[in-house]
Amino acid sequence: MSKSTALPASKPVSGITRRAALRALGTGAGTVALLPWLSEQGLLAFGRIQEAKVATAPKVLSASQFATLEALVEAIIPADERSPGAKEARVADYIDLLLSESDDAVALQWMGGLAALDEAAVTRFRAPFARLDATQVDALLAEMSANELTPQSPLDEFFVMTKHAAVQGYYTSEIGIHRELRYQGNKFLNEFVGCETEDGKTCSHCGQKAEK
Amino acid sequence: MQGDPTLTLNVTTITEESRRMAESIKPGSAKWDVIVVGSGAAGGMAAHELTTAGIKVLLLEAGRMIDTRAEYRTMEWPYNSMRRNRLPPGERPIAVAEYNFLDRPYAATPDLAKSDKVTSYAGNTFTRNWVVNEKEHPTTGTPYAGVRARVLGGRTNFWGRGALRYGPLQFKAASLDGYDVDWPISYEDVKPYYDKVDRLLGCSGTNEGLVQVPDGVFQRPSKLNCVEVAFKRSIEKMGRTLIPGRAGVTTDGVLHNKYRMPCRGRGRCGRGCNLQSSFHSPTALIYPARDTGNLTVRPYSVVSEVIVDPATRRAIGVRVIDANTREVMDFTARVVVLGAGTLESTRILLNSRSRDYPNGVGNSSGLLGCYLSEHIMGIRGSGYMPQRIGTEPTLDDGRPVAPYIPRFQNVTDKHPDFIRGYHFQGGGGCTEYPGMAHDTPGYGKAFKSSVRKHYPAIISFGGFGEVLPVKDNRVTLDPQVKDAWGIPVLRFDYRFGENELKMAKDMGDTIEEMLTKAGAEDIKIGRDPLPPGWSVHEIGTARMGEDPRTSVTDRFCRLHDVKNVYLADAAPFVSGGTQNTTWTILAMAWRTMDYLKERMKTGDV
Repeated sequence: MSKSTALPASKPVSGITRRAALRALGTGAGTVALLPWLSEQGLLAFGRIQEAKVATAPKVLSASQFATLEALVEAIIPADERSPGAKEARVADYIDLLLSESDDAVALQWMGGLAALDEAAVTRFRAPFARLDATQVDALLAEMSANELTPQSPLDEFFVMTKHAAVQGYYTSEIGIHRELRYQGNKFLNEFVGCETEDGKTCSHCGQKAEK
Repeated sequence: MQGDPTLTLNVTTITEESRRMAESIKPGSAKWDVIVVGSGAAGGMAAHELTTAGIKVLLLEAGRMIDTRAEYRTMEWPYNSMRRNRLPPGERPIAVAEYNFLDRPYAATPDLAKSDKVTSYAGNTFTRNWVVNEKEHPTTGTPYAGVRARVLGGRTNFWGRGALRYGPLQFKAASLDGYDVDWPISYEDVKPYYDKVDRLLGCSGTNEGLVQVPDGVFQRPSKLNCVEVAFKRSIEKMGRTLIPGRAGVTTDGVLHNKYRMPCRGRGRCGRGCNLQSSFHSPTALIYPARDTGNLTVRPYSVVSEVIVDPATRRAIGVRVIDANTREVMDFTARVVVLGAGTLESTRILLNSRSRDYPNGVGNSSGLLGCYLSEHIMGIRGSGYMPQRIGTEPTLDDGRPVAPYIPRFQNVTDKHPDFIRGYHFQGGGGCTEYPGMAHDTPGYGKAFKSSVRKHYPAIISFGGFGEVLPVKDNRVTLDPQVKDAWGIPVLRFDYRFGENELKMAKDMGDTIEEMLTKAGAEDIKIGRDPLPPGWSVHEIGTARMGEDPRTSVTDRFCRLHDVKNVYLADAAPFVSGGTQNTTWTILAMAWRTMDYLKERMKTGDV
């Protein structure tokens, strides 16, 4: 067993074994959307992380679990020529913080998923997930995502769970909204313009022509 | 420091002010002509129309007052709170699926019991201080996803702003298809009041000349964005149309209201508009009413029953339980107007039991609580319009409501499978949160770029269908379960029927057909209805009619049995069409108040 799959010794989810975590993941039907709620303290802590760009200090996940999660969310939503990815948007911190106040069962599922992912990485490439190269990551994710609509294995489930959380965390971040999507709304307008055909012009955005 | 406005928002001041207000108002501390129960669309309009006519009104609101500046967090970004719009620990809304498998009362089930506050599905980071805790306010019976808010203005603080008129197809529905009964009044009776409401409150829309959704006195309409124009052009070839949404929002401004400003297209109305461009009862109706000097607002006033003098068969007032002190007190007036919301008003009447009224006040027909109706919804379709796939984002959501596809079934033709009809609401383009990302398959750069490419092209619509009024769809008082104030709660016996399910199937088919014809890509159709109650468009339970044996109120929403009790909300409505309910509540409440003012002038009450 790789060192990176070890569960933390003194975390809210105490006394559980890796086996228990893996089992929890396997029974995770219907829990995809069950991310927990954040407390005020948790929130403030996260605010500080965001603001100061301080080093990550995961609350629930061990350093290696965190590294695995961060590598996974970045693989799902990577940096590209347009905008930074999930790592810079601190999506792993977001998930860790939510987990820190979740039910044990939910935290167990995530830990089980991370353990299973690292186990798959070690079995196949003799290195934990966070240390795989791009080709290796792609090979694993291609398999995990193949049954996205009807997940079959625990890893399939874990992919879906992580993807929803990553989407939620990334596209509600400043990076996601402003740099990636370039969302234009939520500002004071004199008048909403809409499609330029509404003003009798050929629209420069969609190419439709004004009627008549 | 990134705080969380949902937590740092300080409602202590307004809460304490509300307590002081409540404590200062006791029975006998002034003399009131009319008691109005509730401060949302119904109670707000009732109070406004009465006080501006010089009538002294005591307005009883079960919740607290509201700070309409601080509590409407209109422009807040999700990243301002790292909770990202999730509720804080201990608070939890009921999820859509849970309505169908949890036993009731919902909040008492093991999964939810551990949360301190359980709200209806409408509970979110913006509404969390307004919607009720289902633990304090349980309901029982068949699944029902009702939304209640106890705060000044009620649900108008976060309503959907759809401002549609009922037309002849609604008021005379029975004459057209032979089912059930017509309203005892016609569109012509209500039209002048719709016009008045449009002028007083402001309504954005376009005149279209459609019988299924009559025109109004409109202010500057919303424009359509690119994907909507493309969709509209396509469905027009099928004889259908898509029109700008009609919104209870002032886009040009309203005269005589110093609290409200014209819409500035921020597109965040559902959190409460802090420019007050959206109709919210506090700034649109209650503050102006208060400014007349004729209005007394008593917050934290939970009305448990209407008190009727059996000798005169007249109401003498209402019984109030103070929400904080639990003190019980009876307030008296010449007239009682119930505008607590369709279901709450009916609950108050059902609970007004005495030796002379063993089944509640106004219930000699036995029909109080019957004919509950609303809209079946949840059937939806989405796709990507090719005109905008791969284009750069534009500002597509700077308007108060999305477009509207008016009802097209059973308007001029006759559908073989069902009577009445449905409309669609929806639209597309760029929004703050790309919900479509959850449905975009894959991972990595391909996934990210696919989300980006399709983001401006999404279009989606959801149907709203009429639920036929049925006597057996009803609420009664639960014989055992009581709310936090000891008042029996409502037990629902309400189901969608055959007509609704056939209509729902047709909704799925027609939206699929329209999306296909419009050339949308990756079309997804959702054919499962949402749980009953989801529309929050409840009507009926105290239906109006000429015959006291078959109806609860008369044509002026006055109880047949007790001549000085009026209903200002949608409880008297006979049938509900497909239209969102609020604008008709406002128009009908105004009409009822005009009638009441006449009666008061003649000394009748």
